Amino acid sequence: MTESPAQAAAQGHTSRARQYLIIFFVLFVLTVLEVAVAYIRGHRVEIVVVLCALAAVKAACVALFFMHLKWETRVLRATVVIPLSLPVLYALVLITEAAWRRLTL
Amino acid sequence: MQAAAQAHGHSHSREIAWPPDHLFGRASAGKIAMWIFIVSDGLSFAGLLLAYGILRGESEAWHHPGEPELGIAFTALLTFLLICSSVSMVFAYEAAVEQRRGRAALFLGLTALGGLLFLLGQYSEYFGILHPGLTKEGLVFGQSAYASTFYVITSFHGFHVLSGTVYILVTLVRWLRGAATAGQIELLGLFWHFVDLVWILVFTLVYLIPPGP
Repeated sequence: MTESPAQAAAQGHTSRARQYLIIFFVLFVLTVLEVAVAYIRGHRVEIVVVLCALAAVKAACVALFFMHLKWETRVLRATVVIPLSLPVLYALVLITEAAWRRLTL
Repeated sequence: MQAAAQAHGHSHSREIAWPPDHLFGRASAGKIAMWIFIVSDGLSFAGLLLAYGILRGESEAWHHPGEPELGIAFTALLTFLLICSSVSMVFAYEAAVEQRRGRAALFLGLTALGGLLFLLGQYSEYFGILHPGLTKEGLVFGQSAYASTFYVITSFHGFHVLSGTVYILVTLVRWLRGAATAGQIELLGLFWHFVDLVWILVFTLVYLIPPGP
């Protein structure tokens, strides 16, 4: 009997349910950590750096595991990551420029 | 038709071959199209967030007297809700691939419910349901860069949640009718996870970063 494409896909499919639950737990813990860090007073620069790092890790978890980028081809990963890295680079340039201006003026 | 093809130097006996490329066929046209959309939409959000960063970084005072602070605890709950809906979406896709139709429909329904509750939460944050919303507390669009960037960024994201929820409901109906495939649910999932991913960044940059000295 010839199997349908759906049956063939189901047979070749490896369940990632456990992995998804681990990522859910990681996202939950990081969100709690973010909120806790946000309530700390003082040390603003350090807090901003930590919050941005936590957000980057959470976003990477979603993109790699939930959006399946981890299992995609390198060329697809590069097609997504390179253009979306450019605004981050631009932001870093602007932050550096602003910091430099404040130090020198 | 054949005459026309022959007139152009083609014949039906010769098949058109795709140039040898080991990547050909590794991603469907629909998936590539969805990723192109996500990247371009992501750049739109990046533009908004960069403008927000520049305005906030250059302002003498971000919060003006009389303007309320944004509620972190309530928004953290909305963030958790979106994360839960992302998990239910991946389980819907898993079930769809395994052809467990009822389970896939259930998880799609739960994901849509997550989207609707998020929208309800955002409405409550803006206009108030059980408590006065930000608009009544003095955060008025057009009154300050703080207010305007807040409403532009969060409502643009909210529009994505709304369109994502409609997309989920349409796919759910098509799935129940047997007209949707697991591949289409994967594309839907890509969009929904993107909405979640953007919210992670918006939550951090707009809500969590403390005001300057």
